[in-house]
Amino acid sequence: MKKNIFILCSFFLFCLPVFALEERVESNRYGVNKKWELTDERIEAAKKVPLVDANDKVYDYADILTEEEEEEFCKYFQELTEKIKMEVVFVSINMPYSRDKDNENFAADFYDYNDFGLNYKGYSGILLLRNAYEVDPYFDIYTFGDAQLLYDYNRLQVILDAIYSSFKSKNYVGGLNIYRRYIRNYFEQGLSKEALDYYVDDMGYLHKRYKAPLFFALIFSTGVTFAIIWVFISKNKMIKKATEANDYLNRQTVQLTEKEDKFITTHTTSYVVSSSSSGGGGGGFSSSSGSSGGGHSSGGGRHG
Amino acid sequence: MSKKVLDNQCPACKAPLKFNAKLGKFKCEYCESEFTMEELKEKTAASKEISHQEEKTRKGSNKYDQYHCSDCGALIVTDEHTSATFCVYCGNTSIIKERVTGKFAPSRIIPFKCEKNDAIEAFKKINKGRPFMPKFFNDEKNIEKIRGVYIPFWLYSFEVSGSIKMEAKNIRSWTSGNTHYTKTDIYHVIRGGNMEYAMVPVDGSTHFANDMMNSLEPFHFNEFKEYNHAYLSGFLAEKYDVSSEEAFSDAKNRALNSATNYLSSQVNYTNKRVLENHLQEKNVRSEYVLLPVYMVNIKYKDKMYLFAMNGQTGEFIGDIPLDKKKVLISAILLFLILFLCILLGSYLLYLVGGNV
Repeated sequence: MKKNIFILCSFFLFCLPVFALEERVESNRYGVNKKWELTDERIEAAKKVPLVDANDKVYDYADILTEEEEEEFCKYFQELTEKIKMEVVFVSINMPYSRDKDNENFAADFYDYNDFGLNYKGYSGILLLRNAYEVDPYFDIYTFGDAQLLYDYNRLQVILDAIYSSFKSKNYVGGLNIYRRYIRNYFEQGLSKEALDYYVDDMGYLHKRYKAPLFFALIFSTGVTFAIIWVFISKNKMIKKATEANDYLNRQTVQLTEKEDKFITTHTTSYVVSSSSSGGGGGGFSSSSGSSGGGHSSGGGRHG
Repeated sequence: MSKKVLDNQCPACKAPLKFNAKLGKFKCEYCESEFTMEELKEKTAASKEISHQEEKTRKGSNKYDQYHCSDCGALIVTDEHTSATFCVYCGNTSIIKERVTGKFAPSRIIPFKCEKNDAIEAFKKINKGRPFMPKFFNDEKNIEKIRGVYIPFWLYSFEVSGSIKMEAKNIRSWTSGNTHYTKTDIYHVIRGGNMEYAMVPVDGSTHFANDMMNSLEPFHFNEFKEYNHAYLSGFLAEKYDVSSEEAFSDAKNRALNSATNYLSSQVNYTNKRVLENHLQEKNVRSEYVLLPVYMVNIKYKDKMYLFAMNGQTGEFIGDIPLDKKKVLISAILLFLILFLCILLGSYLLYLVGGNV
């Protein structure tokens, strides 16, 4: 644990000042123009990520792209952002990390404490982070606002799998082209069927929509209504045929004279209980919280 | 051929004497003298018998008998099963002797304990807990006819003995790992025994539906009195037209079912099924008795509904018609309330679950 903290501190102290374009100071509200309330904790978190121009879209801190490639993708992503009304961002870093969550925290803070998505509902956007840390290269896609619905976990899995071989072989241009193509395709496809059951709140968290249990209510109400009405109807029928004579049995005269219990056979049946599995962690729809207090989702990431 | 009509006369004033159910005594409505059965027996050494000319006529398949009232001489017409009736002119009770003597002589009788007004009051209260009864159905004005009738019953006392053979199963389930097991042990079980059933009643008149008479049970047999025709005064009475042998099958079936269930209940297995039943009745004794019942005819929307009240316990039975409109409205309202409650409940659960 102490080692992890040391590595992170080293990274923030020595690397991040190089990325920063402008100082985060009180006069510019620490560069945060979003609605997050600026607590001391959040100011500290904001100071640890570079303050950037949100129009650039491509932030190649790890120098994995040439100047021309960077400019080209910046143009592509700006067009894509205009088209899908959500930020499309690529960030490369070279950051030592001990757990995948460190990358996620960086990506979330980088997005939240800059002006990404400022013009879009719920600060919507999608960010591809490449950590080119040579010990354990890593990449993942993070979604914010309504992008969490459009690019759900399953779709992010498809994109991550599609760009995996390109990123692993350091063909970043190829990988980014696949990335932007999928973003466009999914935008054109619209929300998946599952995503229709969810919504994103003002803080960027995913929630399941209320779905009235109409079928259950219909069946249950009908059944209970019939049962209750039947009970009251049967109260009107007071004439019943007597089939037994228990009231007339003289219990003092009862003598049990024969008792025999003969075992005949036995048999045992069995079946395997199918265990319900969620299909692996991170699936479905769920939001994580960044230090800003806003919600976001991720694709689970890939090492390589 | 002559038919004899018995009537009860007050030993003091010779006016018609009626049994008062509330007092449990005979009371003269004219001189207000009261007599217990024993006192009446003492004061009237023998019942007065008056001969009358029988005029028997046949109309279709029904037989009607005609008598002359011993008091006013008016003509009384009864069917062939009536053993006690009234003169419609003077109200005097007439008891047809040959229908309450000899083979038609009941051995015991339970006198009426409830009065006519009790039956009316009981009828007025039948709407309690019955929301689907038509409005005004239990209005007193709907009572077309109410009459206290002594119904002929056969009481059977007998032993049931023998055994039953059952297939019984013990089922045990458990889960080990991800496998669920169910083990079924099968046994053949025999239980045998003897038991006595005492005074199982079967209605001895075809005039009354057996189901209706069954529903009036139980009668408290510890209040039986030795039969005397004087108890019939003020009430109608029927003689049996179902023989003891014919009526016995009902009592036997009920007792055998009951005995089978009793023996079956002595077996503690998960489930059981009777394979063979060797229970039999023996030492059957029968007794002919009269039991008190108020019959009430209710006329509602031009249709007659028959109700009966146990004249001893006040138990009121009968099939009440349904107000279909009430049923429909209640069902719709109930459905809507349940439906909305489920939706509201599910929404509250959704909110409590922190989904917003």
